[in-house]
Amino acid sequence: MDLLRSGPVALAEQRLHWLDGRQRLLAANIANADTPGYRARDAVPFSEILARRVARPAMAATDARHLMPAGGANRGLVSAVSERTPNGNAVSIDEQAIRIAENDQSHAMTMGLHRKYLALFRTALGRP
Amino acid sequence: MDLDRALSISAAGMAAQSARLRVVAENIANRDSTGNAPGAEPYRRKTVTFASRLDRALGVETVRVARVGRDNSAFPERFEPSHPAADERGYVRTPNVDGLVENMDMREANRSYTANLAVLETTRGMLMRAIEALR
Repeated sequence: MDLLRSGPVALAEQRLHWLDGRQRLLAANIANADTPGYRARDAVPFSEILARRVARPAMAATDARHLMPAGGANRGLVSAVSERTPNGNAVSIDEQAIRIAENDQSHAMTMGLHRKYLALFRTALGRP
Repeated sequence: MDLDRALSISAAGMAAQSARLRVVAENIANRDSTGNAPGAEPYRRKTVTFASRLDRALGVETVRVARVGRDNSAFPERFEPSHPAADERGYVRTPNVDGLVENMDMREANRSYTANLAVLETTRGMLMRAIEALR
């Protein structure tokens, strides 16, 4: 059994990667909280990306005229607009703060699970 | 690494808000700066505009101060014939700085700066947690 390629460790790696990318997007939203015309964005939910990877195989282009979806599954962005100010800015700091807190919490949980999972093996090996 | 990029985005946001706060300070400091010759223009209020900039190296939109402009609204006038800048009618043109507007702007800049700082702290926490995994 390959410990690093499958199971919880690989899943944790994907999740952390996604959380990092999302944190970057949310930081950009907060930095642009007063930029006229800026619209808040968020990452595509992790569950969706996972479902896409597991269940649906990638579309194949067998003809030059076939249209492919723009960007990969990871690069998709969804709009996170809930309110709009008169100058066209659509970033709600409160809402973004909640998303960041959520992201932080998920990160803590993923790191915790990762550590616990590895501790299982350490216990099995008889090392404290 | 993505978390490093998040840190630099927050830093850009903080720099932009500081620049805005600096302009607010200039405006408030010059709130009573009139001209010193008859008909001379008093201090004209400065304005700040932000723009998001697509940082191709980071692949995200950071923020920067697009332009420090001038407020073209009319100057209020005050009757004070003894003032050196008074015109022939005895009126002095005073700066078009409104204390309330500046105060509002200052608070907004402060709020946005704090928000950026909070994001920075959170990102740092995530980074530290990731480093903890090495132990």
